[in-house]
Amino acid sequence: MLTINKTGEEGYLIISLEGEVDASNSVELDEVIQEVINEDIKNILVNAHELQYISSAGLGVFMSYLEDFKEKNIQFIIYGLNEKVMNVFHILGLDQLMNIKDTREAAEKSLHEA
Amino acid sequence: MVKFPQIQRGKIYVMLAVISWLALLLVNLIRVFGEINQMEGLIGKEITWILEILFFIWLYIFFNDAIKKNQNRNFIFFIWRAASTGLMATGTSFLIIFFYYLLGDSRLSEDPLLKNFFYHVNFAVVSIFLISTTLSWKHLILYQKSKAIVQQWQAYEVILLISMFFVLISQASFNYGFMFGLIFLIIYGAILSINLKWIPYLTFREKWKSILFLVIIIACTVYLFFRLVSYTQQNIHFINLSENLFLLGLFVFVLLYAVFSSLVTLFNLPTSSVFEQKLTEAISFQKLSQSIKPGEDEEQVLDILMDSCMSAAYVDAAWLELYPSEPEQSSKIQLQKFISNGERQEVMTLLKRSAPFASYFNGQTTDRTEYLYGHIPHEIYKSVLVLPVSANKKKLGDIFLLKEVKDGFNKEMINIISTFAGQTSISIENHRLLNEAIRNERYREELEIAQRVQRSLLPSELHHNDCFEIDGFSAAADEVGGDYYETYRFDKNNFALIIGDVSGKGTSAAFNMSQMKGVFHSLVQLNLPPKDFLSKANNALSRCLEKNNFITTTYYTISTLTKEINFARAGHCPTLYYSREKDISRFLNIKGMGLGIVRNDGYENYLEEGYLKYQPGDVMVMYTDGIVEAKNKDNQEFGYDKLRLLLDGLKDFQAMEIKSKIVEEVYDFVGRETLPDDDYSILVIKFKA
Repeated sequence: MLTINKTGEEGYLIISLEGEVDASNSVELDEVIQEVINEDIKNILVNAHELQYISSAGLGVFMSYLEDFKEKNIQFIIYGLNEKVMNVFHILGLDQLMNIKDTREAAEKSLHEA
Repeated sequence: MVKFPQIQRGKIYVMLAVISWLALLLVNLIRVFGEINQMEGLIGKEITWILEILFFIWLYIFFNDAIKKNQNRNFIFFIWRAASTGLMATGTSFLIIFFYYLLGDSRLSEDPLLKNFFYHVNFAVVSIFLISTTLSWKHLILYQKSKAIVQQWQAYEVILLISMFFVLISQASFNYGFMFGLIFLIIYGAILSINLKWIPYLTFREKWKSILFLVIIIACTVYLFFRLVSYTQQNIHFINLSENLFLLGLFVFVLLYAVFSSLVTLFNLPTSSVFEQKLTEAISFQKLSQSIKPGEDEEQVLDILMDSCMSAAYVDAAWLELYPSEPEQSSKIQLQKFISNGERQEVMTLLKRSAPFASYFNGQTTDRTEYLYGHIPHEIYKSVLVLPVSANKKKLGDIFLLKEVKDGFNKEMINIISTFAGQTSISIENHRLLNEAIRNERYREELEIAQRVQRSLLPSELHHNDCFEIDGFSAAADEVGGDYYETYRFDKNNFALIIGDVSGKGTSAAFNMSQMKGVFHSLVQLNLPPKDFLSKANNALSRCLEKNNFITTTYYTISTLTKEINFARAGHCPTLYYSREKDISRFLNIKGMGLGIVRNDGYENYLEEGYLKYQPGDVMVMYTDGIVEAKNKDNQEFGYDKLRLLLDGLKDFQAMEIKSKIVEEVYDFVGRETLPDDDYSILVIKFKA
């Protein structure tokens, strides 16, 4: 099960992920990110506090947008990953490519610095 | 036993009949000759009777046979056959009269021998007519026969046979015995004649035809009867052939059945159309119930449905509106019958305004509407029946049936039309299910092929030498999987090893895995250091993987000469390594990045190369994430720690046993009942020297 919520904040948008991202629902995540990019939002935060699990298909979704983020100069920051999910990002090496922060504050701070 | 060939039988009967008739003629001519010359008692009357009986019997057998051959003809055929025989007999009789007319007053016209000859001819054609018609009637009477009717008919045949011989017992004409027999035959014939089940099956036209034929038969019978009587009265010299109970009985029977049939057919005429209608409905229903054969389409069934509905309710105009299969398409008008586009639109506008249709077309009623019936203020079409057609709980469309009269649909019509619609749904559903089954079957076959191909992609034998043992295991969650491992031998001391996992699972993963195998085999021959190997592999795969696909892998080179292991990790699960020296297992966690994630030259920067020197007794466990992410029913993962501790306990076993025990442990953890939701692969190396 995966629940995705979008909340607009001042200067950025938060996508909250709740549950598990696997092959069956990674399409939903993909759609939401595509939508946000199309809305021309430049600062995107992903709240992953409630993200229990992410499969390779889910990681594939993030990975496929890395180029877009760079090209369109979009700040895409994930925060609140639990240890297990963080480890998945780490093993694959995505932590080297993505901006991953512990907390929302750290993420916001990173936004302002950029 | 002599067996006559089947084809000859009819001819033999005819021949026998002709012979008995000729004999009869000869005998009677001789007798008349004798009588004229006062030579009484030349030939006994009994011989005439017996020859007559033989003639009857052969005729009866012949026509019985002939009718049997035509059993499947329609009823009109039999009635026409009887009528034509009647006409033939009557015609013959007229010809004889005409012949005598031509003779005028000549001496020949008074010649008793010639008269006797023509009397016999007349007698023969009458017999042929009566017997063949009786047997035609037999066929009609026995239509939809029950056992009782068959028995009645058999009894009648026996009675007829006895009646032929009656003349031998009592030669005095018209005595009590004869009258009694005749009355009995009349009553029995009348009882048989009420079997008229064939009449309702005639169409309206056929009924008129059969009435015409039956009237012909009646006229012929009556004429022939009087003709025969007049012969008998005129010629005292002749032996009376017609005063036979059998012949008279047949006269009565043929006449009675013809009269009964014609009257019943006549009275059946007005209700004929109703019966025809019911028959058409039954046939329509049967057509609809036969499920559509594969290859045919649903439109044909809908067409049958439309036709059936239209004929069941005498509909003046109709059309079928099919709902779109995709929401963005507009409805399709199909099978528009006897109505123009303009009129259809007029009617549709009126429907949207008048009850009870308005609420239906404006989407206010539930989907469970069985039918809508009402009238509209249209100048031509007064009553309308709208019938939704659905299949698999989804509405396919609406059938619109229009009639020019007000209140044109009665309850029976609506009932039968609803039944048609229901049957159509079932047919279409069956058709779809069948198609789906065929499609699934094909997919299954294709998957089986894919499975076979993929199984051949995993090595059946792992390269090694005496310095280490190696054993592997792989299981896919779906029919095909995305896990991959392989070994390569450079020379007797140098080996390459790879384990990989393609993102996603199932068929697409399996395709990418086979690409990985290709990349491995082409690059491994270059004998590159692991980091370079992965960098080149990334380069190659970046060009062929889909945007959101990646592959994780770890590449190892092992030299048993220097006891060195070099490896690089492309985002794959860290290798678990048990060191004999430290007596502890640990994960070889080096920096890495999955293949296909960074699709440019910068990829190399995310890689690190690992190096270690092994000692005998060391164990290396390579695995895919399916193992560590395997979940039990409480949604807990198997995890890295459990795997590490497990290896600590298994370190003394051989590679094969370590592998088996880990796999077993994982399956136990997941639970035997639950199906694995990821691919599991594991490769175990134990160093010996």
